[in-house]
Amino acid sequence: MTSLKSKLLAAIAGSTMLAGAAFADGHAKLSGDLVIFSDMSNPAPRAVMEGMVDRFGEMHPDLNIELTIIDREAYKTQIRNFLTAEAPDVANWYAANRMRPYVDAGLFEDVSDIWEGTLSEELASTKGAMTLDGKQWGVPYTYYQWGVYYRKDIYEELGLSEPNNWEEFKANCQAILDADKKCFTLGSKFLWTAAGWFDYLNMRTNGYDFHAALTNGEVEWTDDRVKATFANWKELLDMDAFIDDHTAYSWQESLPFMTNGDAAAILKGNFAVAPLREAGLDDSKLDFHQFPAINGDVELAEDAPTDTFHIPANAQNKDNARAFLKFVTSAENQTLINAGDALGQLPVNNQSSVDDDKFLQEGFEMLSSNSPGGVAQFFDRDAPAEMAKVAMEGFQEFMVKPDELDRILSKLERARGRIYR
Amino acid sequence: MFPTPLEKRPPAARTMYQAVLPLALVVWLLPLLAVAIFSIKPGADFTNANYWGVPSSFDFVDNYGQVFFNSDMPRYLLNSFTITIPTVIGAVALSAMAGFALGIYRFKANIWIFFMFVAGNFVPFQILMVPVRDLTLDMGLYNTKTGLVLFHVAFQTGFCTLFMRNFIRALPFELIEAARVEGISEIRIFWYVVLPLMKPALAALSVLIFTFIWNDYFWAVVLTQGPESQPVTAGITAFNSEFRAMYHLMSAGSIVAALPPVAMFFLMQKHFIAGLTLGAVK
Repeated sequence: MTSLKSKLLAAIAGSTMLAGAAFADGHAKLSGDLVIFSDMSNPAPRAVMEGMVDRFGEMHPDLNIELTIIDREAYKTQIRNFLTAEAPDVANWYAANRMRPYVDAGLFEDVSDIWEGTLSEELASTKGAMTLDGKQWGVPYTYYQWGVYYRKDIYEELGLSEPNNWEEFKANCQAILDADKKCFTLGSKFLWTAAGWFDYLNMRTNGYDFHAALTNGEVEWTDDRVKATFANWKELLDMDAFIDDHTAYSWQESLPFMTNGDAAAILKGNFAVAPLREAGLDDSKLDFHQFPAINGDVELAEDAPTDTFHIPANAQNKDNARAFLKFVTSAENQTLINAGDALGQLPVNNQSSVDDDKFLQEGFEMLSSNSPGGVAQFFDRDAPAEMAKVAMEGFQEFMVKPDELDRILSKLERARGRIYR
Repeated sequence: MFPTPLEKRPPAARTMYQAVLPLALVVWLLPLLAVAIFSIKPGADFTNANYWGVPSSFDFVDNYGQVFFNSDMPRYLLNSFTITIPTVIGAVALSAMAGFALGIYRFKANIWIFFMFVAGNFVPFQILMVPVRDLTLDMGLYNTKTGLVLFHVAFQTGFCTLFMRNFIRALPFELIEAARVEGISEIRIFWYVVLPLMKPALAALSVLIFTFIWNDYFWAVVLTQGPESQPVTAGITAFNSEFRAMYHLMSAGSIVAALPPVAMFFLMQKHFIAGLTLGAVK
């Protein structure tokens, strides 16, 4: 409670400071145009985006802001078109390798100047994800944590506590299996869920830097260190830790195993909380813990997919766009747009206050202070799309046929040779 | 040649039939029933794997309220009407005229033009996907309702013309000859003699085309995007958010989207069945 209070106080202090800064900025009122293309098309994100534009417009009454919201999926194909043809001044996208094609093609503006000074400190947790070739190419506006969501009541009934290392993790799992339940539910039908397991096992076995090098295509998939990751994974598979027939379920279809108590936990992003709560798992039954360390020598690192704003290189009103990016990342705005009644995710600014929600609080704490190794974006955002597809198929196949590991890894290695050139 | 009517079969076969029919009906309707049941369940029932059981709470008002007041569904429904109705009018009007020309006048290329209309029906429409998309893009009609309407009119006119031509051929030709003897102009013959006789065909075709176009998903996805132009069949996927699919809302949306063609069917049942058989049986 005290930590919450101090956080709130810090937030208030931060926001008053920021209000001062905004006032100072306000002297230089912006005019002209600002064209924004956004993919925040679901109802809640849409309201957030429109709210941001309204508030920014109030600060700069002479500015003519034109906001176009495009369906999230359609946006992914349209961005290639509009970045080259009629570029807006601000556009949504994703961090890390997902922005590399546009950075390499010279379509995103280098915005390192915005990051100079205080912003780099306030946004320290996501700075790495926005950096390519030593420069920053945009700003984040929201992210969420990944980790183990578990049935607190089952753990209590079996006398288990949150594991702090790999041995405890496995011991907990064995106890759950002895109680005739499965340790983890998983729906790997659409592949990406298995990639979450790979991300964590690899980052805990070999560390963030190795994981980044691997997803960048700099390390062979047949490397012994990769094999060590899979050996750890195989320990879980040999224990039969996962639910049967997980390849038949989507992630949503895998949730019933957890709600009806057949499985005790799930490795998932924070978006799993909402359906689980609706299904009756209140805070006394559902809890969160960080994926524990496996190799004590590597620093903990987390998956925290980050959504971003960028300035296209062909934009017309770059000064206005820069002001908008600064506004988006300000502590005050971050508090507002990531609140439980808005996006319900984590603010990227460490001066912001986090919504009074157990899981968001724990996630913010974890990412701000207990993820020294770095923040990864999730496998299919860190690796190029083509490699991600092949690799995730490999992960799923490995979970079903762990003995075929060598064949699977040599297949991935061949794909690596073809894809990164 | 025809199967023996049921009344003439042995009693055992009749009992068997009566027992199996309801069963087959239930199995046949099971997916629809599932959607209908899901549309009044809360979202939590999906997470709890309560797929077939009694709803944990009765959320009819909630779900349908969400669909009508808190989503783009009304917009999508309106789009569907503004796409379907002009298409029906356009396709039926064009094909009535084309059918009149092909059915009444004897000229050399008659049969070839008719074959072209018929052959068009045999082209699998999927292979037209890329060229049609590029065409609409070049014409500035991509992502507009006009583009979708124009394409549907062009594509449906082929089938409609086959239908209309055969129907007009079956009319007694003496009626037209009689009118000509009276010295009535051709356009007035079409308007005052042929069109009134075609009423059953017009009604049947309208109902048929209405359901075809309303239920079209393929072209809706290929040629349009977003709530400003997409019809309801494509709009239902808007209930898939970034992470979660809202199955209960999608079910409610599907029921709403299916209502107009179903209502159309029950109101115009007679014409519908006539429409399905009219082109084939002369």
